[in-house]
This record gives sequence, C-alpha cells and structure tokens, in this order.
Amino acid sequence: MSENKILFNTAGSLDTISADIGNLANLEDSKLKLTPDNADSGLAKLVLTLVELIRKLVEKQAMRRVDGGSLTEDEIERLGETLMKLEMKMEELKKHFNLTDRDLNINLGPLGDLM
Amino acid sequence: MHDNVVDKSKDITILELLDRVLNKGVILTGDIVISVADIDLVYLGVKLMLSSVETMDQLKTGKSILKL
Amino acid sequence: MIYALLSVHEKAEKLNLLLSTIKGISQTDLMAVSYKEIAAVVSCQKETDIIADKNKVLEYAGVIDQLAQHFTLLPMRYGSSMESNEAILVMLKINYTEIHQNLLKVENKNEFGLKIFCDTQKLHTQIRAESEINSSLNNGLEDQPANSVFKDYVNKKLREHRLEELMISYVDALIAEISIYLDQFHAFYKFKKMTTSNNIIDAVFLLDKEKQTELVSAIETLQHRYPDLNVVLTGPWSPFNFVEITIK
Repeated sequence: MSENKILFNTAGSLDTISADIGNLANLEDSKLKLTPDNADSGLAKLVLTLVELIRKLVEKQAMRRVDGGSLTEDEIERLGETLMKLEMKMEELKKHFNLTDRDLNINLGPLGDLM
Repeated sequence: MHDNVVDKSKDITILELLDRVLNKGVILTGDIVISVADIDLVYLGVKLMLSSVETMDQLKTGKSILKL
Repeated sequence: MIYALLSVHEKAEKLNLLLSTIKGISQTDLMAVSYKEIAAVVSCQKETDIIADKNKVLEYAGVIDQLAQHFTLLPMRYGSSMESNEAILVMLKINYTEIHQNLLKVENKNEFGLKIFCDTQKLHTQIRAESEINSSLNNGLEDQPANSVFKDYVNKKLREHRLEELMISYVDALIAEISIYLDQFHAFYKFKKMTTSNNIIDAVFLLDKEKQTELVSAIETLQHRYPDLNVVLTGPWSPFNFVEITIK
C-alpha cells in the first residue's frame, strides 16, 4: 500500500498541514495509559481533563448569559472574578502536574476526542 | 523538492489509512483484541457522565450554575 | 482474524483464485468462510500476531484494498478475530440481514475524505473585519478599558466567545455549500467541524465510483472560490466510515 491516495490539493500545501494531519490521526499517543508506575500523573491527567472540560462548559454558558444581556453590572463583575480565578487555579494545577493543554484532550477511541 | 512532495503525499496517505483501519470499519463487539480495550471502557463511562452533566445544564434555568 | 465481509454472488471461484494469490498478515494463507452469497475473508493467526504494529496494519489494509478491487465489501477494523471458522459462520448467519443491507448500501461506491484547513489567524482577522461592518463582535462593548479588571476579563472572554460563534457559522455555511454539491451526486456524507484549531472541516463521503472525476472537479471549484483555505481530497477508500453495523 504505497500508492498515493491524494486526489486533490494545492501544490506545495501539504507541508503546512502534515503536522495537523498527524494530530488528527493521533493514533495511540493521546490515549491515557494507566500503569502502576504512572498512576499518579495518569490519574491527575484524567481528573484535570474532566475539571477543564467542565470549566470550559461553565465559561461558555456564562458568556451566553452575558451576551444575552440579562445580567446586572454587579453580577458580571462577580462572574468575571470567579472565572478569572478558576482559570488561574487551573494554570497552577497544570503546572504542578506538568501537563499541557494538549495532554488534557484525551482520545476517546471510537468516540473521538474529548474536546 | 518533487521527491519531498511525493513523500508527503505518501505519509498522509498512510496516516489516513492507519486511522481508518484502526479506528473505523466493522467492529466485532466483545472480541476486539486491542491493547487498550479496558481503558476505552473507562472513557465510555466518562463520556456518558459528561453528557449527562451537559443535559443537566440545559435542564437548569442556567442561573444557579453561574453562582459558583 | 477477519479482514472483510464480501458480497460474492456467483463469483466464488474468482474469489478463491484471488485468495490464492494474496497473503494475509505475517504471510499466512487467506480463506473464505461463506454463508449464502456473503463471505468473510479470514486467516488463521496466532494471538501475538494480532497486536497492532504499523507494518501489520498496513499489510491488513493492503489485503482489504486488493479485495476491494474486485468485490463489494465491508472492511473490518484491525484486530477483529474469532476463535474458529465455525464461530465466524455462526456470526455470519446471525447478522446476515444487517450485513446484506450494508453491502447493498456500499455497492459500486467508494469512500472519499475531505479535509479543509485554514490559517486560523488569517481567518480570525477576516471574520473580525467582516463583523466590524455589522458590529456583531463589539456590540455593547466599549473600546475603553472598564474600570475593573474583572469586567475587562469578561469583555475579553466575551469577544473570544463571539469570535468562536462567528467561526462556527462560517464553517456551517461552508458545509452547507459543499452539501449542495454532494446532494447532486446522491452521496452519503459525514462532517466533523473544528477537529483541531486549523482543521475546520473533516468530512467523509460515500458516492458512486464513476462520480470520482466529477467530485474532484467540484472540489477544485471549491478551492478556487476559497483560495485562502487549504483543501485536501483523498480516496478512493473502502467504505470504512460507512459501515453501520454492530456484530454480536
């Protein structure tokens, strides 16, 4: 199977996207591998992934509400403070466990990516 | 330069192919031998849990979850 | 190890002839397990053989590809295996109707993959510029920094949120445009949006083999209309993404 199955692309454009395709096809590397040796960081990765996902959901929902215009100045102020602190805390945790944003997107096998 | 383009196309072809053969196609339930099968099951549970969180969000009026 | 489920009809001899010329992974012999007009192409494999490595997976894909040149088939996912040919026969019997229907659906059709990439930065700038006109991005937001960091933070997030929403509607419009082409070809299609920050569309189509040239020129037209986007069409593939079947 060495034949070329690219039917159409702009000449020379493949260089710029091969990294992206590599990411898309991320076969095994983003899967969480839990073994006795890495149980700590493996668990941290799983937990932080969940926390980050929920944080993003909350942020998204909050922005919809702000956009909807039904919040008072005071509420927006408090909301901003909360979201900002959440994001800072998250950065702290990621640093602590040596995780990047990329680590926090787990490949769900047949279900695709989490984020 | 030309060779490079040919290589790239081949690489992408192979990546696309691997993605299909490993992640797509007819699945035999219960009999798949993949080294990470157990972990995938964990994920399935996780995904279900998350989607129910999302549904919960939609069910609520939205106000309460904002007051963290 | 099962490679694919085929529709054989009167071509059983041709299949056996073909199988005698190709080898399974690790140079094993291939054989057919048949029930009515469908057959599973299998090879006898040690358990350790099944663990995926790149070469084996490519060999596996090669077998599917060679079979697909001559037969309508449903490709199996790598690693599909059962303990005996008898078990496979029972599986074919139980799932006959579903397999038969899926084979009919993909008959004379090939799968094609379309990926569209963008320069995210560039596209953001473009969308921002367009939204200046109808002020949808900055509506209700003052240009001056507010007198509170928290308010500023919310404003920043709000801008990002709106930009994202605009990106999504941009991609939706693009998908709608491509779908019009595809409907003309009576194709089946699946779209995924924003799979990575640069890959805005990742789609697969299933359409008649003869329509390939038309598809390529349609995609060419699309690329001309959107010179800033990077469009890649791949194929023809076996219908990996269009087998909707769970085998018990």
